[in-house]
This record gives sequence, structure tokens and C-alpha cells, in this order.
Amino acid sequence: MSAWEKLAALPREIVLTIVLIAMIVPAIRPFGLPIMVGKMSKDWYNTVDSLPEGSIVLFDIGFGSGGYPTLGPCAVAALHQMFEKHLKIVIMATALEGSMMYPLIMEKVKPEKNYGAEYGKDYVFLGYIAGEQTAMAAVLGDIHTAVKEDYYGTPIEQIPLLQEITGPESFALVAYLTTSGGIAEGWVYQAYSRYKLPVVGGFLSMMTPSLKPYYDAGALKGILDGIKGAADMEYMTRHPGDAMRATDILSATQTIVLIFIVIGNISYWGSRLSKREGEK
Amino acid sequence: MVSTDVGVWIAAFFTIVATSYAFRDNIFFRFAEYTFIGAAAGHAIVMGVKNIILYGWTHIAGGEPSYWIPIILGILIYTRYHPKYYWIYRYPIAFLVGIGVGISIRGAIHADFIKQIAATAKPLIATTPLGTLNNIIVFVGTVTALTHFIFTYEGIHKGAAGWIPKIGRWMMLAAFGGAFGNTIMTRFSMYQGRIIFLLRDWLGIIH
Repeated sequence: MSAWEKLAALPREIVLTIVLIAMIVPAIRPFGLPIMVGKMSKDWYNTVDSLPEGSIVLFDIGFGSGGYPTLGPCAVAALHQMFEKHLKIVIMATALEGSMMYPLIMEKVKPEKNYGAEYGKDYVFLGYIAGEQTAMAAVLGDIHTAVKEDYYGTPIEQIPLLQEITGPESFALVAYLTTSGGIAEGWVYQAYSRYKLPVVGGFLSMMTPSLKPYYDAGALKGILDGIKGAADMEYMTRHPGDAMRATDILSATQTIVLIFIVIGNISYWGSRLSKREGEK
Repeated sequence: MVSTDVGVWIAAFFTIVATSYAFRDNIFFRFAEYTFIGAAAGHAIVMGVKNIILYGWTHIAGGEPSYWIPIILGILIYTRYHPKYYWIYRYPIAFLVGIGVGISIRGAIHADFIKQIAATAKPLIATTPLGTLNNIIVFVGTVTALTHFIFTYEGIHKGAAGWIPKIGRWMMLAAFGGAFGNTIMTRFSMYQGRIIFLLRDWLGIIH
């Protein structure tokens, strides 16, 4: 085995250990790299910021525990902004584990303590509603038929916020965070295409390239692009959290990955070159 | 300070054990894997039953007998396990497919076709030089990538115009590279959440 091939055959245990170290070091000692707020995040922020006080927002938790490290901070920062603006929020979950994520998110937002918000009047949680696009169409079309009670079993007739909703036009904005491509497209189809409602979406970074055309076409007013979008939101809302800490970790690990890609390429081209020379 | 919460210790154990697979398959990882599958299946069943009660039975009990229709259709799906009457399951499936397509297609045509064509077919000259460059890249990328998928006319791939689909292929490769970079970022951003959990919630090293 040539030196070039040895380089490519670096044991994965070593690679993973280096990556783990690159994650742990900046977590313990953050570099404090500056946050450059992206346009897509800024557009999400401005869309929410432009809503008049008391507007009703439909907020969908479309992710479970797998997406929580990325989209959890997005949800926390986004809800901080909405509560700060005194918007009224109807929260639902189109992901099966979404209702398990709700308490984790609200534990950090603390709407009652931080903003004096009242459950049922300023926000409500409907829980998981099965069916993805069917659920979206039903909730937007006629929430009173689609939902009989909130997550805690309170009949919707006893929830003042839901009494204010008379149809899809009652919603000033649809905001969602999801790890599912079906849910991501579904809200565009159901809320934007059908009812022309402003829609903002947050996704895993790996989903953003395929969903950005909706943003470019004006179907999505703003996008939170994974942990980067969450960090942007935390920065803009002045609620620093896990995402801002994560940017340092990601910068370090991405640099390590880049180095390994360069090493891999050097090894590949080097071994190719040495083979050619050997043939001559 | 190290956490004294049993729940945090269990979560930390499963996080470390799940990570260990990246180094080598082991019995602890398999234990974590099966535990996760069991817990997820249990949760899905509970949520399924809750949904039937909430969105089916509550309506029936409230005097809306039409909700028997989806419940009966749902039960009919299980006929696929019957050796003689398995064909009946095709009807609820056809119903599901029909509803699904009907609900999504209207929005899809508007958002995926009309809006995308309108967003692509815009003037090449923008207000800023960078905007103009973006528009040119979008225009060239869209046209050349589309020509790559013309399979009914061989001349476009082999003739003098063969460079057009070739550019399209390079455009797509660049897009795949971007998508792969985003995938790496997503995976790391998922795992960094667990690192922060271990260092802060479990070990108390960071605050």
C-alpha cells in the first residue's frame, strides 16, 4: 500500500474521534464567531414583525425528537418573537411526536412568566392531528369541524382564541417547522396556493435546497434554514440559546470535514498519479 | 455538577450507546435500537387509538353518523390479511389515494408549476449586477437541466448541441454538491444537540 493509499485508509475511529473533539472543544470554550444573519431568516423575522398586534398565527410543530436539536431552537426563538409581538398563536402538530416536543419548547419560552400570555386566550395547543395535508386542509377550512377539543381535552367552545377563528382568513400567518418534505410542501399547497395566506417555513438544512424555489417564487415569505436559521433568529430576537452556541461547534466540525475532503482528494489524485508513473 | 436526575442519566446512556455504533456494532447499541423501536411503536399505537377516539368516536358520539364511513373504511384495510377477501382492501386504499391526490394537486399545480415558471421566466437584467448574475444562472441552469431529460430526441445529446445537456448535468452536479454539504451540516447539527445535552444537562460542565 502506497503512502497515498494509507492516507485514504485512515481508520474511521480516528476520523470520528477527531470530529467528536472538534464538537466538544468549542462547546466548552466557544470561539464567539460573529453571526451573519441570512436574508431568508431576516425575511421570516420581518414577516412576523409586520403583523399587527393580536393577529392570529397558525404554528405547526412538524418534527419529533430527531429534529429537535435543530428545529427546537428555531421554534423557541420564533415563539419568543411572536409572544413579544403579542400575537395570538394556534399551535398544532402534524408530526406524530410533535405533541411531545411542545412541552420541551414551551418550557423554554415560558409565555405566562415572560410575556403574561394566557393559555386559551393568547395561545392554544391542539395536539397532533393526523393526515398531514388532509389535516392542514381541514384545520384551515373549518377548524371547528376538524377539532373538537384541545390537547388537554378542553372543548373548543370553551377556548376564547378558537372562537375568534371564523375561517382561513382569520389566520394572518402560517408558520411551520418540519423535518418532513411532505409537510413542508403541504403547507405551501394548502395555505398559500389555496387560501393565499402568507407562509413561513423552517426545515432541516438538507431540505432547504429543494424547498428554496418556493421562497424564490414568493410562496414562502421566509425560511429558517436549520440550526443556522435558529441562530439567526436567536440573534435577532436577542434570546441567545442553543443555536448560537451550536454555530461555533458546526464551524469547527465543518472545517474538520473540509480538511478530510481535501485529504481524501489529495490521496485519490496522488495514488492515481503514482499508478500512472508506475505503468510508465 | 453532574445531574442527579435518573431521566437525564438514562438519556445520557442511550446517547453514548447510540454513538458507539459509529465506532463498532455492539450489544449495547442493539439494546438501544430495540428499545427505541419499541418505544416509538408503543407511542404510535397510543397516538393512533387517541386519534380514532378524538377524530372519529367523539363525532359519532356527538350524533354525526357519517363518521362511521372512515372507520369502516379503516377496518376494511385489514382485509388484506384474509386469504379470500383480501381484494376488499383495494377500495379503502383507492379512497385514500383519491382523497390525497385531490387535496394536494390543486395546490401543487399552482405552487410547483405556475409559480415556478413565473419565477424562472423573469427578465435577465435585475436591479443589481449580482441579481442579474443570479437570473442568468437560474435561466441557464433551468434550460440546460431540462434538456438533459429529453430522451425522445437523441440528437440533443449527440449532435452539435450536445454541450447543452452537458452543462445541465454540471449544473445538477453542483446542486447535488450543495445538497450534500447541507446534509452534512444537518447531521452535525442534530448530533451537536446531544453533545450540548451531555456536557450541560448530564455532566454540568457548561451552562
